[in-house]
Amino acid sequence: MLEQIIFSILAIAIALFSVLAVTSKRIIRSAIYLLFVLLATAGLFLMLNYHFLFAVQVTVYAGGIMVLFIMAIFLTHKPGKIVERRTNLKIISSILLSGGGLILCGYIILRNVTRVYNYLKINEINMQDIGRAMMGTEKYQFLLPFEAISLLLLACIIGAIMIARKEKNIETNDNKDLDHK
Amino acid sequence: MQSFSKYISGIFTSLRSLLKGMGVTWKEFWTKKVTMEYPENRETLVISDRWRSELIMPHDENNEHACTACGICMMNCPNGTIKVISASIETEEGKKKKILDKHIWDYGSCTYCNLCVITCPSNAIIFNNDFEGAVFDRNKLVHQLNKPGSKLRDKKK
Amino acid sequence: MNYKQPLELNGLLLQLDLFLRGNLPPFWASLIEGLLILIAVLAAYAVIALILIYAERKVTAFFQARLGPNRVGKYGFIQSIADMIKILIKEIIHINRVDRFLFYAAPFFVICASVMAFGAIPFGQGLQAVDFNIGIVYVLAVSSLGIIGVLLAGWSSNNKYSMIGAMRSGAQFISYELSAAFALMTIVVMTGTMQLSEIVENQRYAWNIFNGHIPAIVAFVIYLISGHAETNRAPFDLPEAEGELTAGYHTEYSGMQFGFYYLAEYLNMFIIAAIATTVFLGGWMPIQIKGMDAFNQIMWYIPSYVWFIGKTAVLVFISLWVRWSFPRLRIDLLLNLEWKYLLPINLVNILIMVLIVLAGWTLTDLFPILFGN
Repeated sequence: MLEQIIFSILAIAIALFSVLAVTSKRIIRSAIYLLFVLLATAGLFLMLNYHFLFAVQVTVYAGGIMVLFIMAIFLTHKPGKIVERRTNLKIISSILLSGGGLILCGYIILRNVTRVYNYLKINEINMQDIGRAMMGTEKYQFLLPFEAISLLLLACIIGAIMIARKEKNIETNDNKDLDHK
Repeated sequence: MQSFSKYISGIFTSLRSLLKGMGVTWKEFWTKKVTMEYPENRETLVISDRWRSELIMPHDENNEHACTACGICMMNCPNGTIKVISASIETEEGKKKKILDKHIWDYGSCTYCNLCVITCPSNAIIFNNDFEGAVFDRNKLVHQLNKPGSKLRDKKK
Repeated sequence: MNYKQPLELNGLLLQLDLFLRGNLPPFWASLIEGLLILIAVLAAYAVIALILIYAERKVTAFFQARLGPNRVGKYGFIQSIADMIKILIKEIIHINRVDRFLFYAAPFFVICASVMAFGAIPFGQGLQAVDFNIGIVYVLAVSSLGIIGVLLAGWSSNNKYSMIGAMRSGAQFISYELSAAFALMTIVVMTGTMQLSEIVENQRYAWNIFNGHIPAIVAFVIYLISGHAETNRAPFDLPEAEGELTAGYHTEYSGMQFGFYYLAEYLNMFIIAAIATTVFLGGWMPIQIKGMDAFNQIMWYIPSYVWFIGKTAVLVFISLWVRWSFPRLRIDLLLNLEWKYLLPINLVNILIMVLIVLAGWTLTDLFPILFGN
């Protein structure tokens, strides 16, 4: 009973705010609606007693990525500017694309929902189990993908630094060229 | 390598200097507090003699003052705070003489510039340091400095 | 070993729970309990904020050789209550050309994040509203939401000062969040659990700060520094540097909206101190020495929440002490401190902690007779 009330509140919030996030004309408002969607999703995880994913959702998405989103929006030109409407063709193509995505995701979720739900319903997943699963090398343990992803992230960071550095070098080179001329 | 050792030693020197700073504030935490709690310390309150707050006209035990009603203070007052109202009387020798009737000073518009006290030829008025002059009515700020029935002190012969 | 604990509240709470569950259907029982817990948490939140505001003013005054508030009530005890009443009845000024929705939503982000983190703190034996398996991560997660409120406040105020303050606050918070999390993870490596109640139980005979000796002390200091920076208090108060930015991100706020920021700032200070107490200084666990039952019994007579509040008060005092000792940092120095000093030290520190745990050099492993649970 209580669970169902909370679930329906969260579901309505997710549905409402995801529509608002797309239709809002101000980019910063969109970001905030997206944040609400993410928080409500975290609420769903909390309802399932899946605390780890709840915390990760809140830290990584709400606390990390959304803050960076908002900072990035601040740094862009005129963040409060009202965006113009797209053309009809673009609207139709994006509707088609998102519909396709919905069908794909819905199929996967429908196929797996009972299995995952029962698995989650058994008991609260222990933090140590998650740690072992992430750091183990046996079957259903994920050290290799974990490390692969961290390598990827490292490469991204180095790449970002390289891009940031290059601009400076080009500037100095340009100056030298000008000096020569 | 050298920069690394510099980095490490930098951490420790900065930590030490931070702790030193905290030591200073720690001592400050226990020092005697300088706050004066005003209404409670009325008895022990020390106000500097130079403090100018209320203009008074000192009277001696015979209820005599030194004001000759010359009006110099009134003329020197930059914003018309002082009004000297004089009256003339006939002395025993039949001479007409100007004496002080009312010396009126407005607490509310005085700027405590001290010009009246400096220029007074007979040192009849001074500023005291009784600073609690607040009243609930503006009219009460207008003081009459000479006491009723007072008269000019005779010059010593 | 069971000690007598005459002043603990958990027995009373258990009785209340049994009473409610015995007399009501389970739905209403859990609803009423939830409401009671909510009220208790909010009341504690407000009361602690009032006490902290009073303490801050008094301690500040003492550091500046003044006496502080001493007019309203004896020693000014009622001063902060008077302040609260004042701020509650103050007018909320509506600013033209702000983004209405975000402007009014921003304070709630800050206060919600703070209350959610506050709920996870173990105040005493059985006095913990939420006790998740992932306690520490939960606290870090929900307290990271507060920064969104600050950023939104800065943006929606339509004011340059607010905007710059919010940007600074964002950069500062994201940076120092890392250090704070790593410092706590250092201890998680040692305790092997993230549940706050278990962490407290594990510190029965040796506080974590002593149990993990060198790396734990380093982590403690780093946590205090980065926690202090996260709460935007001097010397890390660039977001509201009054000399340059009037009041930073809350320049345009008035009345109780400003009050929310004010409350959240003080409560964040308390939360940082409380988490540091729980994780490093043994939480609500009284000081106990293994084998000395008489001494332990005396220590248990002091209720656990008093221990907790006492330890937290010491850390809050240190926070205030630091605040009134050092001048404000420049923004580049602030980021230098985090990225060039705290974070690398932290990473090395966590490695040392792993080695110490693996080699069995923690105090509980070295002297199990003295400190083992």
